[in-house]
Amino acid sequence: MVTRLSGAICIDGVSKTEVRDLYLDGEMIRTELATHTRMDSEYKLGNHIVVAGGIDLHTHIGGGKVNIARLLLPDLVSHRNASSDRMVAEQPWLKPLSSPVPGTWETGRRYLEMGYTACFEPALLPANARHAHAEMADTPWLDTGGYLLLGNDRLLLEWIRDGVPQEQINAYVGWMVHAHQCCAVKVVNAGGIDAFKFNQRHLSVDDSHVHLGITPRQILNALSQAVDSLQLAHPLHVHCSNLGLAGNISATMATIDAVEGRRLHLTHAQFHCYGTDGPHGYSSAARELADRVNADQNLSIDVGQVQFGQTVTLSGDTMHQFANRKLARPRKAIFQDLECQAGCGVLPFRYRQDQYVHGLLWSIGLELFLRVEDPQRVFLTTDHPNGAPFTSYPHLIRLLMDYDYRMSIFSRLHPDVQKSSPLPSLTREYSLEEIVKMTRLGPAKALGLNNRGSLCDGKLADIVVYESGGNPEQMFSQPKMVFRRGQLVYRDGIFLADSIKSTVVSSIEIEPQMNAMLEKIWRTRYGYSTEMICVRTDELQSERRVVEAN
Amino acid sequence: MICPFCSLLCDADDLDQVCCRRRESSLVDVTKMRSWRASPNRDSESLPNAKNALRSATRILVTGRILSVQTARAAVAFSAKYNATIDCAERGHAFKNILAIQRSGLNSVSLSEARDHSDVLVVVGDDQLLAQVPRMPSALANENGDKRTVLLIGDFSEASMSIWREAGFDVWFVPCELNAVPTALAQWARWSDSNRDSLSIAGPLFEKLAQAPYTTVLWSAENLQIESADLWVERMLQWIATRNESTRCAALAWSSLDGTFLQVCTWLTGFPGRIVFQAGTPKYDPCRFSYREWLAQKNTTKKVKSVLVVIDESTSATPFLEACDLPADMHVIEVTANSKTFPTTMAGVEVAADMFRADQTLLARVEPSVEPRSDTKSAAHWLEALSEW
Repeated sequence: MVTRLSGAICIDGVSKTEVRDLYLDGEMIRTELATHTRMDSEYKLGNHIVVAGGIDLHTHIGGGKVNIARLLLPDLVSHRNASSDRMVAEQPWLKPLSSPVPGTWETGRRYLEMGYTACFEPALLPANARHAHAEMADTPWLDTGGYLLLGNDRLLLEWIRDGVPQEQINAYVGWMVHAHQCCAVKVVNAGGIDAFKFNQRHLSVDDSHVHLGITPRQILNALSQAVDSLQLAHPLHVHCSNLGLAGNISATMATIDAVEGRRLHLTHAQFHCYGTDGPHGYSSAARELADRVNADQNLSIDVGQVQFGQTVTLSGDTMHQFANRKLARPRKAIFQDLECQAGCGVLPFRYRQDQYVHGLLWSIGLELFLRVEDPQRVFLTTDHPNGAPFTSYPHLIRLLMDYDYRMSIFSRLHPDVQKSSPLPSLTREYSLEEIVKMTRLGPAKALGLNNRGSLCDGKLADIVVYESGGNPEQMFSQPKMVFRRGQLVYRDGIFLADSIKSTVVSSIEIEPQMNAMLEKIWRTRYGYSTEMICVRTDELQSERRVVEAN
Repeated sequence: MICPFCSLLCDADDLDQVCCRRRESSLVDVTKMRSWRASPNRDSESLPNAKNALRSATRILVTGRILSVQTARAAVAFSAKYNATIDCAERGHAFKNILAIQRSGLNSVSLSEARDHSDVLVVVGDDQLLAQVPRMPSALANENGDKRTVLLIGDFSEASMSIWREAGFDVWFVPCELNAVPTALAQWARWSDSNRDSLSIAGPLFEKLAQAPYTTVLWSAENLQIESADLWVERMLQWIATRNESTRCAALAWSSLDGTFLQVCTWLTGFPGRIVFQAGTPKYDPCRFSYREWLAQKNTTKKVKSVLVVIDESTSATPFLEACDLPADMHVIEVTANSKTFPTTMAGVEVAADMFRADQTLLARVEPSVEPRSDTKSAAHWLEALSEW
């Protein structure tokens, strides 16, 4: 099957942006074909923009905590009514999700409707791995992958306390990533989730775990060494200590220092760059963090932008979720301590435009986007659903591309935010090329997905066609067409076909002696065999393909 | 090998010798599985007849015991296709916990965390708990050699207590009506502030509780045979939440193997069952859309054509619909182990199945231990066949 897309403006951040023809040859993109190649179909796309499929490298779409949030919050599910139908009829691109944590089918559908074709669950608890993969298998149209949550697993913490050789830690991390079919390693509040199980309510980077006596700095250092030693494509993905606390910028800087210059990705960075200045002792430290990122090629961030409205926060960071329990709206929350590995906290939350701190979070997120110079090292995320549902991406893109629009929202914020925020002085407006780099090329590079992210010859034919002109929010909410692996699966609001799905995993050679060692430990600690939790490749292959990040 | 005979999913080598539940469960002896209800339409169903009945039905209920991810997916897809009501929480036990959680949240702990880390276990219930999950004490006993305390509250026999002792626990027992447990726990906490000395019997126990850095409170929803059990659970959860203001305490709210269906239904639809599909969209109401409510609604006109689809891939012999009084004109389609038309394999026994342990944390791949009977197909196969137009 060969398809020609002719006359479209091709944007990928690699080649020059220009009007040209593009060919979808089977599952691949071709920039040229042999002269007499027969075309099976052709789409004339004058006045259209063609880009690669979007990649969301941090979105909570599978696993225990997502399902717990659904279970907790049936009251946040809104059904269609006359009012919502009217709104959708007037502004179809504003169509809200039925819930902050919708079911898998709606998640896949809505991502595809925005032109995204790959999404990554960033906190896959080892014990939940099979569950998360099964759930993501039921999320249609998206390639998926997971980052394994380590750094609060008691075994690793005890090994660090006992001073085992780094090689043993490397082998353990490799074994765990392999056994749970993941593509990266994430650490959430290093050591803090486990410390909370021992009733410790605060743990910064150089504080000691009340039971084990080790510090988050030691954990971060050990894990970053392991990730580099295993040559994982994605750097250690870190949710820093002191989530959401005023003054937490010092912990964030200490986190960067802890890895001693190795590669590092700071996730939902917006929640980790607060100072203590300003009228309420809570201020932006975005400049400090952005300067650090600009100066260090080994650093990348995703923002975790906040948008106003109802959502639900869900995180492995039980310590800080529990601390925020009284902020829950509606007033209920779930906290779990899980399998000596981590935990989770689920807390419904409403971000209010007229509230000082909430307005500040909104402006800090935008500050980060605007201050980090390289769009391939700052990624567009809302930490779905923590900052906002992923469906707010088109709105966020408009905020980044349109200064006047940004200021029109800013002018509605709490007066103290307007007085203290430097946002009005940041006049940068993102170009389309920069948006494409931030949502396609950059994430593909960051995850080692060498076969996607651009329109170069030989890349996967996951292609999105947008109508050009108009406001970018409307444009990015309503692709004209989406191709998956060269097949047209969506056109003008209609889903035409299902498509192949892949799971992205890292290829790691495990050390055989780890099998016996961990089997013995698992039997003792957990009371069951490692076979209970290992996800075999053929389990994934029964539902979809497996591809490797490298 | 992982054992699917109770909600614990043990994988000990000696289960055949030591697990009474497993010994008593006959692997594929379906002759022991009684037909739950003689229905005039049931035995005459063929695939075309069943499909015709489904297409002409005005109301359809999908219910039964769905134990695997694979069948749960198929059952939800089937229900969406036929705009059916679906409620597969066995006898509604799981909803005792779910309703309480949906009202006021939860502090919970998984099995291995409790095993490794909890100092004091508070086990609420009666002897039935160990009949349902016989290996629970050994699953919770850690191998550190620490003598940990289990406080049994409810109606436990000496036999139950000795099983906990044999597993290495220091056992304390407080006889108490199940209904009164939340009040008793709350009062202990209140009394402690004013006059600890007055607690002549419970005093030492309270001391244990008060000093425990991490308490796990265990109950089984199946074991809560009390009125308004969801309110009971809610009060227990509130007591646990209060304790977390100063120390650590968590619930190990055990459900049963039907937790697998609840999880899958939740990720596919956003709701844990008790939904009706309308034009493919699920609507949730835990009261209105329960199987009991559906069965209680009597047809008032002949225009109403009701079809009941019973799916059962379990290994036990007593289907929970046995007591229901079905109208004679109701079509019943059985996709069960002993169905004549749609004989179904048993999950984790005859076919591989992904099943959740009942703390809803671990999803295990349970490989079959015997060859499937020659005439059987998976429940998912039958449901897909019934969905084909």
